[in-house]
Amino acid sequence: MKKDAITTASALSAAPRGLAWMRHEPGLFLLLLLEWLYFDFAGPGFGTLDNTFDLLRHSVEIGLLSLAMTPVILAGGIDLSVGSLLGLCAILFGKLWRDAHLGIWLAGIGALAFGTFGGLINATLITRLRLPPLIVTLATFSLFRGLAEAITRGVDTFTAFPESFLRLGQGQALGLPTQVPLFLTVALLVWLMVHRTVLGRSWRAIGFAPEGARYAGVPVENRTALTYILAGAISGLAAIIYTSRLGQARADAGTGYELLAITAVVLGGTSIFGGTGSVHGTLLGVAAIAVLNNGLVHVRQPREAAGVLTGLMLLLALSIPRLAALARRLIERLRGPIL
Amino acid sequence: MRTVSREGSVAAALAVVLLGLAGFAPSFYQPMPLLSLAAREAPALVVTCGMALIIVSRQIDISVGSQFAVCSVCTGLLLAAHYPPALVLVACLLVGALLGGLNGALVAGLQLPSIVVTLATMVSLREALRWQRQGQFVNLPPTVQWFGLSQTHGQILIVSVAVLILTVLAWAAKYLAAGRYVYAIGSNLEAARLAGVPPRALTFAVFVLLGALNGIAALLNSVQSLQVDPKSGTGLELKAIAAAVVGGIAINGGRGNLWGAALGLGLLACISPALVFVHLEPYWERAIQGLIILLAVMADGLPVRRRRLGDRPRAQVQS
Amino acid sequence: MPAPLLRLTRISKSFGAIRALREVSFELLPGEVHALVGENGAGKSTLVQVMTGAQQPDSGSVELDGATLTYLTPRRARHLGIACVYQHPALFPDLSIAESIELRLEPIAPFRRVHWQGQRERARRLLKQIGIDIAPGTLVRDLSMPQQQLVEIACALGADARVILLDEPTASLTQREEHLLFAVVRRLRDHGAGVIYVSHRLAEIFALANRVTVLRDGTRICTCNTDKLSEAKLIQLMVGRELSAQTSAPRPIPDHPLLSVRGLGCAACGIADITLEVRRGEIFGLAGLIGAGRTELARTLFGLTPADSGEIALNGQPASVDSPQTAVRHGLAYVPEDRLRHGVIAELSIEQNISLASLSRIFPNGWLHSEAERALALEQVQDLDVRPAAADALVSSLSGGNQQKVALGRWLATEPKVLILDEPTQGVDVGAKSELHKIIRALAERGLGVLLISSDLPELLALSDRIGVMRAGRLVATLPGRSNPHEVMAAAFGQTVVEP
Repeated sequence: MKKDAITTASALSAAPRGLAWMRHEPGLFLLLLLEWLYFDFAGPGFGTLDNTFDLLRHSVEIGLLSLAMTPVILAGGIDLSVGSLLGLCAILFGKLWRDAHLGIWLAGIGALAFGTFGGLINATLITRLRLPPLIVTLATFSLFRGLAEAITRGVDTFTAFPESFLRLGQGQALGLPTQVPLFLTVALLVWLMVHRTVLGRSWRAIGFAPEGARYAGVPVENRTALTYILAGAISGLAAIIYTSRLGQARADAGTGYELLAITAVVLGGTSIFGGTGSVHGTLLGVAAIAVLNNGLVHVRQPREAAGVLTGLMLLLALSIPRLAALARRLIERLRGPIL
Repeated sequence: MRTVSREGSVAAALAVVLLGLAGFAPSFYQPMPLLSLAAREAPALVVTCGMALIIVSRQIDISVGSQFAVCSVCTGLLLAAHYPPALVLVACLLVGALLGGLNGALVAGLQLPSIVVTLATMVSLREALRWQRQGQFVNLPPTVQWFGLSQTHGQILIVSVAVLILTVLAWAAKYLAAGRYVYAIGSNLEAARLAGVPPRALTFAVFVLLGALNGIAALLNSVQSLQVDPKSGTGLELKAIAAAVVGGIAINGGRGNLWGAALGLGLLACISPALVFVHLEPYWERAIQGLIILLAVMADGLPVRRRRLGDRPRAQVQS
Repeated sequence: MPAPLLRLTRISKSFGAIRALREVSFELLPGEVHALVGENGAGKSTLVQVMTGAQQPDSGSVELDGATLTYLTPRRARHLGIACVYQHPALFPDLSIAESIELRLEPIAPFRRVHWQGQRERARRLLKQIGIDIAPGTLVRDLSMPQQQLVEIACALGADARVILLDEPTASLTQREEHLLFAVVRRLRDHGAGVIYVSHRLAEIFALANRVTVLRDGTRICTCNTDKLSEAKLIQLMVGRELSAQTSAPRPIPDHPLLSVRGLGCAACGIADITLEVRRGEIFGLAGLIGAGRTELARTLFGLTPADSGEIALNGQPASVDSPQTAVRHGLAYVPEDRLRHGVIAELSIEQNISLASLSRIFPNGWLHSEAERALALEQVQDLDVRPAAADALVSSLSGGNQQKVALGRWLATEPKVLILDEPTQGVDVGAKSELHKIIRALAERGLGVLLISSDLPELLALSDRIGVMRAGRLVATLPGRSNPHEVMAAAFGQTVVEP
């Protein structure tokens, strides 16, 4: 499978490997803890149950997309189209329900099917035609969003969904916001897939060395294709939850979500080059971003502060291992001549 | 050989679109709206030139839109404060170069992957700007609009500056050794290093160049209306990358030229007006853009596929 | 006797436990073509690396024109006029020949104007001097590997190098290209440059070289004038006489073919009409020079490159092997030549590497079980004595010999019927080497069929029950295992054809 230049470890970019990722999650967990403690202390109304539920509700869709993105990046690829696919699936969901008069369940299945099909398009172009994932998903990013805009003629939105459906995004189940158990189920499934199955192991191998994996008998193209198809299916699911949370399906649903997903994944310790990474790291990344966003509101900071801090967090997460490696090398070189 | 045919096919596609317009919607060719279109796209052209060079050097910069917005606001504020235009020009070049240098330092200095670095700077810059401006536009004194010239003259000037920059950069990419070094590091970094080319310094320089071009583009854009919108530049990175890729710049680096990228931009820019004039609803624009990019990259992919299984060139036989 | 251009005195170099060069002295005179020969692992590449500054010797000195060079780097070496043409050309695939040459030859000057016409002219001149007829505007990616090598030589010509090293330059050249190369070499020599010619091809050496230095096991055996030497004598010097100690008694091999290949060909990789058989309990050695097509055959057998013609039968059943997965299912295993890139995945642990090819087999329902995986890995780690015996250790931290054991362990864990080994002891120290030999013999005794590709002739002769010799993509001879090394080399060089 051909990696494109941007996500390939070029001679200019040195990816920290090996032990670096094992130290990442505890650090991130600590950060998350500190965030929570700080906002709980400094922000009235932060640690409350209501707020926590709100926080959870708002982060499920991005969480799902981040989960979808993890196997893709782990296997050495990238998918910029998940946000747009979410929008397209939301629109198609609305159309199936309102204009095709399918029941809400059937419409939901239809949305999932469309998502999977969108993922299949990406998969085919990337693994069968051997096109670079960055550009392919950049194109489908445009295409999917464009189709959503075209279908709605830029103005149409779908509203007035049945009460029972809205409970998915706005109600509760098992004492938690309804979408949370659903999200946790998906998270568990993806976690199991990545960390406990042969499939997940082969994704890692492909991410580190696609040719090496091929020589070991791993069906590289098929396994990579699966990551994109899975991402598409999850985007479809996220679209349904998004629609139910907002009570509305719009063409601009999910705008910018793919970048947040990538941020969460990289923050969580997955290398953009593939191979190293974990699902729990991604979940921690999502949590860190979500808590930051929510907490800053409670300490009367504008929501833009969250964006700036998220960007800085990402840079730090990348820079610190490199700086540490450089420092180590400098120390070795200073020590060398003395010995 | 291949690159010639690529520019050729883009030019041909553009010609088809233009001819189609001539046939079905001759009113497209009225000089005033055409000039306005060109002036509107001129800033994107300037940025596309820089993006093309970045991609040729096997990097990417998705923070271009945010850089553009920051430069626009700075430019606007300086113009609104009645600073002399020459000073404003220098200032926006510097601001752009600084922002580009930030990306360059992280990518070349710390050897971090450019896609993630520019993702982070994109988000940070955009949100920092939004924080500062709170959506507030910058009002410009009417005297600075169109550089103080009439609209027509101002538009001609803007388009000329953009075309001049394109010409100079295209010339440099072909006739200046530094331009060739950019292609060299994009084609084979190790061989370039062996030949004495300093890859990190050069990569840094290309990011700085893109930033400076962003600054100029921001100025060219700001003078076209009475206000600077802090949200300007949204989608600019996509436009620039798409234009470059459609125009033949290979995402793996080392290939393509700026004229092709310009043609690519032209093709993508013509879709919207073409849609209007053929009575297709304008909301199909983005979908068609996506399709064009796909077609372009599929055309790229076909010759590569012939070199399949195994990682050795055909003729190399070992052991 | 003119003063030597390049003189290396008592160079020694070790890589960890491996002593690559032991007090090797070497001299290059101006206007001379001096060949360097020896088996793989004899130390030729290391010596070349010392000459070009890619490696620093542990002891000994390097002199150029009488002046001692203290700390030679590749860049300085090029400055001083030492040019090396490697097997992997350092050119720019997306740029033209002319531009690649200019980038290599011109000093770095960012604001210099590029004169395309002049660039093309210079390239045309250099290419003409070499005698190849390619348009200088051709993109490097459109050239074949041999053509790229010729362009590299053009770079050396253009750099007015006085010491030119050619490392296996004719490995994949056609007849015509070979003649061109020889003409260039002679021209360089006539102009007073010194050419060091590293090659396995004895015919060329006798045709071109004035003198030849033979290396064996890191030691210089002799430096002789080529007109005072015969091919047979040269082979004898290269091969030595230590064979008897390692050979074991011949074993009876039952005629039960595990792998039958008939008329196999793959045009894309340059092999044709291969017919051979590997029987149960047999070690079938595959000899041949670099470029003969042995790895290509292995890759075709394993499904990495598709075969165009011929049949493969495994254990009597015809098999269509179109991918490595199919190959594994049929009981085939392949330990590839490029250990670091293909044999193992360095970023994964020992355990993860060993289990990688067996995962679908031992976990048919897809779930990983760490105990089963650990048990599988530990079994191989213990059997093969991998050190350190820590299943969690990353393979990148292991020595070459241990990495090779992990690569082998991965395939043994699949319980194969036929095992293809491609240069299993390349770059491995003497101790690990003999361990690996014991392991290979034990595998054959267990009933596996082993196809052993090796450029180490003593190793091949000691281990193999039969030896197939490949040359130019074909199997030209099948000899019994205890053959005379000269017979094997002769077949490899194409001097006599023995009917299989």
